[in-house]
Amino acid sequence: MSNQKKRNFQIEAFKHRVVVDPKYADKTWKVLEHAIREIYNHNASGLSFEELYRNAYNMVLHKYGEKLYSGLVTTMTSHLKEISKSIEAAQGGMFLEEMNKKWTDHNKALQMIRDILMYMDRTYIPSTQKTPVHELGLNLWRDIIIHSSKIQTRLLNTLLELVHRERTGEVINRGLMRNIIKMLMELGPSVYQEDFENPFLEVSAEFYKGESQKFIECCDCGDYLKKAERRLNEELERVTHYLDAKSEGKITNVVEKEMIANHMLRLVHMENSGLVNMLLDDKYEDLGRMYNLFRRVANGLSTIREVMTSHIRETGKQLVTDPERLKDPVEFVQRLLDEKDKYDSIIKLSFNNDKTFQNGLNSSFEYFINLNTRSPEFISLFVDDKLRKGLKGVSEEDVEVILDKVMMLFRYLQEKDVFEKYYKQHLAKRLLSGKTVSDDAERSLIVKLKTECGYQFTSKLEGMFTDMKTSQDTMQGFYASHPELGDGPTLTVQVLTTGSWPTQPSVTCNLPAEMSALCEKFRSFYLGTHTGRRLSWQTNMGTADIKATFGKGQKHELNVSTYQMCVLMLFNNADRLNYKEIEQAIEIPALDLKRCLQSMACVKGKNVLRKEPMSKDICEDDTFFVNDKFTSKLYKVKIGTVVAQKESEPEKQETRQRVEEDRKPQIEAAIVRIMKSRRTLDHNNVISEVTKQLQSRFLANPTEIKKRIESLIEREFLERDSTDRKLYRYLA
Amino acid sequence: MGIQKDRVRFNVGGRIFETTATTLANAGRNSLFGAMFDESWNLQTDNNSNEYFIDRNPDCFAVLLDLLRTHELYCPPNMSEKLLYREALYYGLLDHVRSAKWGPFDGNRLWLSRTVAGQAPGDGTAIRAGPDGGCCVAHGCMVHVYDWMLEEHPPINLDYQRVNDVGWLDSENLVVSVCERLGRGDGGMGLFSTSSGELRDKFQVSHENQVKSFTAGALSFSSDYKIFSSCKGRSNEYGIGVWDQITGKQTDFFYEPPGWSLGDADKLQWLNGSNCLLVATLFPRKDNCYISLLDFREKKMVWSWSDMGAPITVDEKRVRDAIAMEESNSICVVNEYEDLGFIDIRNSRGSSVRWSSRSKLMKGKMPDEPCYPKLALHEGQLFSSMNDSISVFCGPDWVLTSRLRRSYGGSICDFSIGGDRLFALHSEENVFDIWETPPAPII
Repeated sequence: MSNQKKRNFQIEAFKHRVVVDPKYADKTWKVLEHAIREIYNHNASGLSFEELYRNAYNMVLHKYGEKLYSGLVTTMTSHLKEISKSIEAAQGGMFLEEMNKKWTDHNKALQMIRDILMYMDRTYIPSTQKTPVHELGLNLWRDIIIHSSKIQTRLLNTLLELVHRERTGEVINRGLMRNIIKMLMELGPSVYQEDFENPFLEVSAEFYKGESQKFIECCDCGDYLKKAERRLNEELERVTHYLDAKSEGKITNVVEKEMIANHMLRLVHMENSGLVNMLLDDKYEDLGRMYNLFRRVANGLSTIREVMTSHIRETGKQLVTDPERLKDPVEFVQRLLDEKDKYDSIIKLSFNNDKTFQNGLNSSFEYFINLNTRSPEFISLFVDDKLRKGLKGVSEEDVEVILDKVMMLFRYLQEKDVFEKYYKQHLAKRLLSGKTVSDDAERSLIVKLKTECGYQFTSKLEGMFTDMKTSQDTMQGFYASHPELGDGPTLTVQVLTTGSWPTQPSVTCNLPAEMSALCEKFRSFYLGTHTGRRLSWQTNMGTADIKATFGKGQKHELNVSTYQMCVLMLFNNADRLNYKEIEQAIEIPALDLKRCLQSMACVKGKNVLRKEPMSKDICEDDTFFVNDKFTSKLYKVKIGTVVAQKESEPEKQETRQRVEEDRKPQIEAAIVRIMKSRRTLDHNNVISEVTKQLQSRFLANPTEIKKRIESLIEREFLERDSTDRKLYRYLA
Repeated sequence: MGIQKDRVRFNVGGRIFETTATTLANAGRNSLFGAMFDESWNLQTDNNSNEYFIDRNPDCFAVLLDLLRTHELYCPPNMSEKLLYREALYYGLLDHVRSAKWGPFDGNRLWLSRTVAGQAPGDGTAIRAGPDGGCCVAHGCMVHVYDWMLEEHPPINLDYQRVNDVGWLDSENLVVSVCERLGRGDGGMGLFSTSSGELRDKFQVSHENQVKSFTAGALSFSSDYKIFSSCKGRSNEYGIGVWDQITGKQTDFFYEPPGWSLGDADKLQWLNGSNCLLVATLFPRKDNCYISLLDFREKKMVWSWSDMGAPITVDEKRVRDAIAMEESNSICVVNEYEDLGFIDIRNSRGSSVRWSSRSKLMKGKMPDEPCYPKLALHEGQLFSSMNDSISVFCGPDWVLTSRLRRSYGGSICDFSIGGDRLFALHSEENVFDIWETPPAPII
């Protein structure tokens, strides 16, 4: 081979140069930098992901991680500065639009940049404790865009302005708002709070302060509450539409404070439309609104409750102390029931059946019902009225409802034993006169009293019913064993157990001879079947049906009391009788006799007797004769006794005294029970425990308790401690 | 993934692979494939050839593609594991590889995966398993850090002082406690990066607002980001220091009560359920054993036990390690013959140890250089090391169910369980073993 040939042989240059390029890192970075720019310019479709990924990988692999990272920071910073300028340049309403658009772009670019730098994110960044790419992108956006001096305040003012415009009724672009707020939230909770939430809350407080001031000057309470409720709902809606859910509590707090808490008292006491007016006019809706709004603020509900209870107390006090009202007990109780119904429905419909409100209502009723000492009597009279006549044609359920309501009032009574006294009297009258309309209703009420106050309270009342039943049987037995009595006057005897009934000491009364013979027969019959008993006649409580023929031959059946019967029977044998003669003949107490004569001689339409001289009142020297001219459309005539249904003043005093007497043994029993278990106890504790034990029956008077203690000491049930005079000791 | 048809063709380093987008989706968004097929990239194939080019090793790609297909890793014998790992890291599939390599930890199914020989001049002090399969070995004044691929990272030291304990805060951070150097402010406790070995933070102890140098002993971490360490100060400031993991600031110090060793503790263990710290100071560091539970909120020792003043016969059963078992309200202790004992912690004053009279058989064949037994607890399984083996106990009565032993390396001076692996450090030859549970069988 010649040299020539050798020279001709050439190695062709390798197409790809594979020498290590000293500027390798710079060149690679240039490629990546270019790619980042293209990504920001939406030109990514021309880029090869694989190549970029490989380049970034190689830079990290060849220990150019630091260069890559700092290059990324510089490039992204300069891009964001440009973006910042374009956002700044956006005019007016376009400002937020532009920002939102750029933010979306930035997010997308950030994702793509992170994709190509994934290897750096995974290896270089954790080992050098640098900020990962995504977080870095957010931080740079925050520092360069959001916290730029030209944007920060403008952004805040724009956002607050939009909120303000929405509050004044304009429609704003909520979607845009949501995106921008979401951006602030994504930049971290502190960005959201400092760059939006805190100023927003301040501005809102200012706004609602002004608005509430304006409203309160010109609106009535109901309207104001409507507006406040609407504002509150608007703010809640705002939170769900474009704020962070965590802001809900904060912004509602602001509205609550500015619109409700700050004006609470003024609203409640607003003239002509405040709480009291709402209660008076049964404004359920307004009351409900007030309840729901006030519930949100501290002391809100207690304010409503206090005003309500004091109003109830005030009106209740007026009601029970009004002398006009005392004239009609039934009306009096009906008014109480109506009042209770009114507030029950307010609490039910407006106050969410709030327990504390119910308690307030109860304590108010308890307070004013007991202001009137006649309340127990009146309630019993109400029941009496209802059971005498009021329940006819009323269904069983309605009866129950009325009785339940009465029981509710009964519960408020402190002097339940007084009620018992009256109830017994009224029940006795009903039973003996056969006036009770519904035995079931009577028994139902007894059961209610029993569940409320226990067996002891009603045992006597139940005894009265038993007596009525056994009396019926006894009478059947009596007539069965005396068949010969068929055509004489008919005697119906009710045998009453002593103690169960409110009997008065038996008074003398000379019955007509026919009757007294019959009574004797019954007495021997009864004592024949029941040994060891004693019968005494309660003539003052009886009634009689007598047939009478008057002057022109007209016949009537007269329904009269036993006393009246005795008087009338006297006229079978005499035409004229004077007062003294009548009194001597039947020997009943003068007061009863006068009443009985009055009812027959002085009541128009029922005057079967006439008297001389004519006058309204009965005098001891009056003379009586049969009124031949008596006429009546009815065959049966009921001659009532002039009795005040309501107790007269002295009767009241008497009942009162009896009640006081009855309480003494109960108080003593309570003291002994307590001391027996405690052995020693000081004075104050004895008083409080006795009061507590007797609470279900009556409110024991401390001075009375003290008297009872003294009496027990005298009788050597207790003694005072020799060193501590306040201490009592039980003596077994 | 913005790909229209399910079939995907790759050209990897010249070899054509076909797979489906569904298979690639197994790689997750945080991988090269996830990013590559994201809509925003609007990916184009090369030159109408209908394939995507990737400039990587095709053999490894094949292995990794199979991993995505089957969730199992099969590495051919002629392929370097390191190369495979590097490729996996490139694609962002390293975590997939790791989780396919070994199964969930079960003490009764362990097999010896590897043995690594260290370069330490002397005996090891401690071995600690990291949260993701790595470990660190402390000996003398050095800590060697290994990741789960058992690649060694730059070693760690704190002023070249003797290391007492190390612990993993997370896969990136290690806490090292060392002795103080007399006359200088060196020593104490430091936080290190596991990847670079750099010191990131040094924990300090202040007494009455004065920073003092100290010797840090045993370490423990709580789930609410606290670090506990036994501390010995220069002027009798002994006790347990508490630091915040996030701020690195000291938040508390439990001074040891007179006559009770806390500053010298061999073992600390944070009990999540009862919010207490177990502190055990054991023979031979002290003549007696002291075990106590501390409540830091009330600054109170709520439970304690000591063998002080116990009868002489107990001497042969001296406690060498202790571990609290919250499920059974007891503390398990072990003596130098690997007898397990249990103490009830429901009585505030420690009751006596109930020894399980299991073995005295070991006594005959004691090795020349015995190591004290150590205890570990992992998901209801109790582990105890003795001489050259580790015993596994299971069930409510702690029945011996398995024994891990290897004939090479001498006694086991420490072992640790974590990242679904068990690491055992031998006293001789400076080697440590990695025990793993194999991946689930095919059927």
